Amino acid sequence: MNDLVLKIENLTKIYKLGKREVQPLTNLSLEVEKGEFTAVMGPSGSGKTTLLNVIGCIDKASSGKIQIDNIDITRLPESKLYKIRRDKIGFIFQNFNLIPYLNARENVELAMELAGKFQGQRGERAKEFLATVGLSGREQHSPQRLSQGEQQRVAIARALAKDPAIILADEPTGNLDVTNKQEIVKMLANLNQKQGTTIIMVTHDEQVAAQTQRMLYLNDGKIIKDKQSQKDALLDSLSKSKEAY
Amino acid sequence: MGILTRATKNLSRRKTRALIVIIALTLALTMLIILPPSINAREALTRQAFNGLISTDSNLNATVTMSATEIQCDYPPFFNTSMIGSSGTSNILTQSFMNDSLYYKISLIPDVTNVIPIFDVWAVSYGPYEIYGVPVENASFQMDPTILPANITDGRNLQVGDSGVVVLDEATAKNFSVSIGGTVTLSGHNFTVVGIEGSELPQPTHGITMSLADAQAITNMTGQASAYKIFVDNIDNVNTVITRISSLDPKLQVLAGLSQLNVAEPLQNQISELTQAAQNNLNQIQDTGLLEITVAVVADVAIILFIMLYSVRERTREIGTLKSMGASNATILAQFMFEGVLLSLIAAVIAIAMGVFVVPTLSSLLLPTPVQTAVGMSQLPNGTIVLTRITEGPKPFLTGNGSNVISASITPEIMLLGLGAAMLLGALGSLYPALKAARTNPAEAMRYE
Repeated sequence: MNDLVLKIENLTKIYKLGKREVQPLTNLSLEVEKGEFTAVMGPSGSGKTTLLNVIGCIDKASSGKIQIDNIDITRLPESKLYKIRRDKIGFIFQNFNLIPYLNARENVELAMELAGKFQGQRGERAKEFLATVGLSGREQHSPQRLSQGEQQRVAIARALAKDPAIILADEPTGNLDVTNKQEIVKMLANLNQKQGTTIIMVTHDEQVAAQTQRMLYLNDGKIIKDKQSQKDALLDSLSKSKEAY
Repeated sequence: MGILTRATKNLSRRKTRALIVIIALTLALTMLIILPPSINAREALTRQAFNGLISTDSNLNATVTMSATEIQCDYPPFFNTSMIGSSGTSNILTQSFMNDSLYYKISLIPDVTNVIPIFDVWAVSYGPYEIYGVPVENASFQMDPTILPANITDGRNLQVGDSGVVVLDEATAKNFSVSIGGTVTLSGHNFTVVGIEGSELPQPTHGITMSLADAQAITNMTGQASAYKIFVDNIDNVNTVITRISSLDPKLQVLAGLSQLNVAEPLQNQISELTQAAQNNLNQIQDTGLLEITVAVVADVAIILFIMLYSVRERTREIGTLKSMGASNATILAQFMFEGVLLSLIAAVIAIAMGVFVVPTLSSLLLPTPVQTAVGMSQLPNGTIVLTRITEGPKPFLTGNGSNVISASITPEIMLLGLGAAMLLGALGSLYPALKAARTNPAEAMRYE
């Protein structure tokens, strides 16, 4: 239990979309250990991105409890929440979201600057992180001059630069061609194996998910299958209903 | 890399937009920076004119009051027929003088408070020079300062107790080839020149001014005077005193200052109209200036407000990204406010540089022309008060070539104030957009396309 990075108990998220009430997450519980590489799969609207946003503290839970590194984030006000985002979470987005007017190195440096880390040696560290993702020599390139695969690698370097407890990747390969897709997933898997980085990745892609150690299937705001634990929620519920029958 | 680097990089990403915004801000800030010194300079000119008018008005009032209780009496000049050679005659206008006995008789008339003898011997009577004697033996002559030379351009005027000294008018000094401290010899007496009387005023000058006793001595006319200035204790008694003086000698010409009251009224009206005009001008300068400053301030704030609102909207995803990376609300607020302040400051620097060159042209476009009318008052020897109107602008405002100069300039203080104001306005204009940015919900921002 000491190695739990993330512990979610009975998480429910409800919000209003006009007059309609939407409930993307229903009574969801999940535990993630340090060093796990987890894929979250499921159809559109199953609540994958909402789950990631709530874990990443950019969206609020309606009820339930989320603990990151044993800190209960569901009770934190915004004045403290940003510190969790800053210190514990590294986001990787489908469309990269690099700051367009900063070059590769500056994008990585910005993460360190916001986190207040490595003062005085940020330039050097940014170079190292970019080297880790294979972008040596491209430090001065602005996002517009980088290919999409390269942009996503800058985004990974940016997430790594903060040394976060969890990296949250929302369809990181969604906008990439086959070659780049494989490279990025390989890179994430490598980071996970060699550096022990905890990664939770939302993806549609079975091939991409196959690179991970654990696959969660979401449907209608609930986890219906957790592959690593060999606990097949679907079969479980089937057997239960059989018993009842 | 700090907030400044990021702000600069973001501005330089949209060069054309930044340029247009900076030009617009520069126009507003140039107005803002040049207006206060321009208003001050114009105000100072008008105020100076205004104060001049007020002081002329009070001089006029004092003179009128004094003149009204002042009576002047003398003998009118007459034509003296004398033989020229053996064949013809010539008429020469000749002065007559009054002697001490008349002086004492007048002094004894009830209600007369003071009698000042004036001794003015014309040039035709005494060599080529006019000799003018003033009773400086005691201070009573100061009751009517108009009897002294009015426009001393060098040295000093006559003082109480002066003896053996003279004030020369410019022409006479030139004839004698003397300056201050020099000596002139008149009828065998030596006199030291202590002052020079300028000849610029409309009031006629006297050739040589000296003490009454000196003047009487060198002309061998001790005890005589060409005119008396008689002071009455009260306006109501003036007519009685005039009758008494006339009865002493019917040949006496007695002039009362009472007539000045009638003359003075239109003059006073004239001055009060000018004063009112100057006051209106002062108000106009202030009102126009204030309005324009308000416009400049509002324009500056509005430009920054709209451009920053647009920027915040355009950069919603960036804000979401920054927040998801752990930027605090304060960081985002500071980032956007700083960009607004930076825009305003860049414009202010250009505005200051421009302001230095365009102050005279622009300020005359923006503000009413200051009133520079000055009115001088003087009294002719017969006591008539005259006003001299100088519409060109009084001397202190004239440069060597005679043109009016409004000396508004962008001083270092104005520059600092301008920069401070630009910073403040930049902060004010970007406050709301920056708050909006800081309050952005990151999850929504990330969905924003």
